[in-house]
Amino acid sequence: MIEIKNLSKSYLGKRALENVDLRLPRGEIVGLFGENGAGKTTLMKCILGLLPFDGEILLDGSPVSRRNIASLSFATSEHSFFPNLTPLAHKEFCKEHFPKFSEKRFKGLMDFFELPLKKPLRSFSTGQKNQFEVIMALCQGADYILMDEPFAGNDLFNREDFYKVLLGILEPNETVLLSTHLIEEVSGFIGRAVLIRKGKIIGDVSMMDLEESGRDLVGYIKETYHYRADRVSRALNELTDTEE
Amino acid sequence: MKHKIERYAPPGINIHLEIRYYFTGLLCAFLYSMLFLIRYSNSLSKLYGWVGNKRVILPDAVMDDFYLILDSCLLGFVIIAVAVLFLIVYHYMYHYQGSKSIYLMKRLPNSRELHFRCITLPLTGAVISMLLAVILLFAYYGIYIACTPKECLTPGQWQKLWSVLL
Repeated sequence: MIEIKNLSKSYLGKRALENVDLRLPRGEIVGLFGENGAGKTTLMKCILGLLPFDGEILLDGSPVSRRNIASLSFATSEHSFFPNLTPLAHKEFCKEHFPKFSEKRFKGLMDFFELPLKKPLRSFSTGQKNQFEVIMALCQGADYILMDEPFAGNDLFNREDFYKVLLGILEPNETVLLSTHLIEEVSGFIGRAVLIRKGKIIGDVSMMDLEESGRDLVGYIKETYHYRADRVSRALNELTDTEE
Repeated sequence: MKHKIERYAPPGINIHLEIRYYFTGLLCAFLYSMLFLIRYSNSLSKLYGWVGNKRVILPDAVMDDFYLILDSCLLGFVIIAVAVLFLIVYHYMYHYQGSKSIYLMKRLPNSRELHFRCITLPLTGAVISMLLAVILLFAYYGIYIACTPKECLTPGQWQKLWSVLL
């Protein structure tokens, strides 16, 4: 389980995360939603130890360190692979460093997405780069897979394929924390939704509870965010209002 | 894979090109250092004069000091040593180019891997360059002492060199 206790993070005096408390048990697929700048990426980077922070983050009861860091993997739209390497060379590098690296999963996913093995990653399209980024995160042998906007730039068919494959290959003890703006698309795929706004967790709900209450995820997010449905029409009225 | 030079460099970097530039630099520094031999032979020939057909040492002829002849002949090696140290910065910055591979490097269970790959080769290059400079310094000093007529040498050449260097 990932336990986040009283996590705060500031950038040059500006609060990016404020007293965040969150628990991510094994085997859950959790969607992390929030507007741009809400703190989603910062939260993930704090979990991964890429940023210093105040508070405590425990990974299966221990602070995140080099001893247990291999239990975490990360797929980001910024991409964390080496663009000059081929997928094969990248696999070799990761195999060398991550003892649980799954060669079988790597081969299966590379075949599924029909990605070339011997072309440098820099020559891949954005969609292919995203696919490879996610493949590497899934093959590392991590128990907790953090994904930050992994599908930015992929077409709809590609994304749908990915959700299906992901659901099919995940082991029961693998946890996914997925940050995305594609709320409707992932609503059938996640088991829990966490909402973050201005660095604070403002909502945390299981999809089962939502279903039972007869609400959908988009509705829940709009409600929690106090979304004003009339803001578009009001803005348009103001903009198109002719002066007399 | 284990013994390849790539193992000591950031993954995917064109290390062979860096090495080619490095050795070209070393060659240039070596050729420039050979200026010492030309300057030395000029100073040496000034010690001699001709009496008829016989080449003799001029009375009261004194050889130029070693450090004056050496001058900046070994500077090329120092410049290369400093330049390759800047490669360390480039190697770290490489992890931000085209992607954020720094995230992967920082997540590796081996915390030294990133630094090992960024520092090892430039540091080795700098050490080799400085070592060559020292070897050539001794070699040129040896030539200076061995080939200069004893009566033309002034004492304390080594001390003079260090007092100038330090």
